[in-house]
Amino acid sequence: MDGEILQTPQKPATAVSKKQPFYYIEDYNTENRIERFLEAFAAVLKYSDYRPLLDSYCTSNAKCNRCAVTCPVYLATGDPRDIPCYRTNILLNIYRRYFTIGGWLNSRISNGFELTEDVIDDMLEVFYRCTACRRCTRECPMGVDHGLITRLGRYVLSLIGIVPKALQVSVREQLEGETHNTSKVPKVALLNTLEFLSEEIEETLGVKMEFPVDKPNREYVFFCAVSDYLMEPETLMGNAAVLYASGDWDKWTIGTSNYDGINYGLFYSDWHLENIIKQLVSEVTRLKGRTLLIGECGHASRSAHDFVPMFAGKETYPVVNFMEYTLDCIRKGKIKLDPDVITERVTYHDPCNIARSGWIVEQPREILKSFVKNFVDMTPNGQNNFCCGGGGGLVSIDEIHDFRMNIGGRVKAEQLIQTGADICIAPCANCKKQLKELVEHYKIPCKVMGLHDLILKAIYVPGGKSPKERQEMAAVYEM
Amino acid sequence: MFDMEQWIEFAKGPLFAFAFLIMILGLARLIIIQAYSLITGKGRRLMNAPWRKIFKDALTWVIPVRHLIPGTKFFSIVSFLFHIGIIIAPLFLADHIVLWEGFFKVGLPSIGYFLADFLTLFTIACIFILLGFRFLSGRHRSMSTPMDYTLLVLIFLPFATGFLASHPSINPFPWDVMLLIHLLSAELLFVIIPFTKLAHIVLFAFDRISAIHWQLRPGAGDEVAKALYGEEAKV
Repeated sequence: MDGEILQTPQKPATAVSKKQPFYYIEDYNTENRIERFLEAFAAVLKYSDYRPLLDSYCTSNAKCNRCAVTCPVYLATGDPRDIPCYRTNILLNIYRRYFTIGGWLNSRISNGFELTEDVIDDMLEVFYRCTACRRCTRECPMGVDHGLITRLGRYVLSLIGIVPKALQVSVREQLEGETHNTSKVPKVALLNTLEFLSEEIEETLGVKMEFPVDKPNREYVFFCAVSDYLMEPETLMGNAAVLYASGDWDKWTIGTSNYDGINYGLFYSDWHLENIIKQLVSEVTRLKGRTLLIGECGHASRSAHDFVPMFAGKETYPVVNFMEYTLDCIRKGKIKLDPDVITERVTYHDPCNIARSGWIVEQPREILKSFVKNFVDMTPNGQNNFCCGGGGGLVSIDEIHDFRMNIGGRVKAEQLIQTGADICIAPCANCKKQLKELVEHYKIPCKVMGLHDLILKAIYVPGGKSPKERQEMAAVYEM
Repeated sequence: MFDMEQWIEFAKGPLFAFAFLIMILGLARLIIIQAYSLITGKGRRLMNAPWRKIFKDALTWVIPVRHLIPGTKFFSIVSFLFHIGIIIAPLFLADHIVLWEGFFKVGLPSIGYFLADFLTLFTIACIFILLGFRFLSGRHRSMSTPMDYTLLVLIFLPFATGFLASHPSINPFPWDVMLLIHLLSAELLFVIIPFTKLAHIVLFAFDRISAIHWQLRPGAGDEVAKALYGEEAKV
């Protein structure tokens, strides 16, 4: 019975419901969605090993409802459909009914659950109203991992063509396109950007830094969210400043065959997750590097950290997040930060993927407290922090901007206002974009930036201008 | 025809043994299936799971003060005390200890009648509050299925009948009828435990290890795509 559908639905598939999801989907085969969903689910169960978990959840899920009050989406809407357990139960009902003997027997005895077009419509909406932040999992007495179930639901849906167009187009370019990155940044544009960054650094810091490109046998091969090359130059300049000041400038490189750490597979597909990881690994192998150095990006760090050892086989490499690297430099005294230039009130947003689902909570705080006098934490924070509202890939879906602002990100906005901070540090490409939009939407007088944007202001660079001089220079520019 | 005394003896003896055996075998089956599929399915990947974190997280639920979060404090406290009641009262009641000794040859300490009565009434109160939540709170009602209500009633029955049977002065029904219903309802619970959500008494341990299930099987994604769309599967 492994992976077999015990009972296909007897009713013929009805016409697809008129209801449109709240995000764009590329044209897909809308015939027989029910049968195709069950076939895809059966294939996933056959080749992957989700069965024991689903069996356990199916039997023991207590539906105590505690998860509801942990979910920023439910807290904003109060809609029962946004309760994490509700969402999880849709997939569990399908599993129980079509893939377990008990569920099949039950459906024979009582007029139980049936998979219908409406259920599929419901799923394609609720699974993308979840930011997969896994905050509910921490508060579930059973430990039901609603984030994992959301991901599994999205995975099966994606196999029948139901996936937000924004994510699908990006992944297609990353895996099958010429540029091999989600923002379709060609190699020439990358090189131009690096040249531009180099000039900016010279102007700001007073030091000439040539970015190392395709240098073999270096310790670190650098991957950031490729969108950072277009949208977050200051974060990258901060990264470069740390590498230069620490004396490790000749120990790192950027590869030009693959320079994108983004991995949307983490949000919706085992298939893509693995193949994107393999692309990263093959770039490190090509360059004979020894460590993956991941820029400020939550999900890129988590996917590399957790899945490189899993999918790379014998070719595996250690993965270091840039904040870990910077903290190491501070502890060893390799870099120095001026504790007098940052006078603003600074807060820190914990990206879910590296805090709750990862290993980075204290490291950035230690860095911040080493040079920021007025640091204030959000409540709650750390592993208990609220999602920015753009997690799980939602931030990349432009058409759901209203949802992200008024529903997904509302709790975060309130949390941010309560800190009264002038600067919010969000060391994650996704969180940063979402928080910048939130700050604008709610008119919060707070600047959102990456951790290394702030470090860039305070770092002493050998042979360059001092942080104080740079601050005075910036003040003149602003006047 | 049996008389009432014989019925009670039957319920206390063979029927109790049968119900208990069903529970034990049913729960053992769940554990064996889980353990077997984890070991054969995950294999060496089991070693990579963050076991320390899993155990640390699980320990925070023994006395879950850290999990008293705004919006669900009252429910959580009642729910926790309810669990204390349904574990301690039936296990350590003097009359039950005799039963355990007869069957399992183990002697448990008794909690005394006063405390047992208190715990019983307390548990019954918790059951009413939990039922109240499911009936009155929209959030809980929207998630509740008939089974969720039924199970609370089925847990209520042995507590209520046990209390009445041991307090003849307030029991309006014949003592022996109460005792029989008490025995039968408790045995019904034993039987259904492995087949309902009450199975969480063992499955909670397997629910908690989702970190292991993030250890995905290498190559599975490609195989799924190939099975559905052939070698040329496209994103």
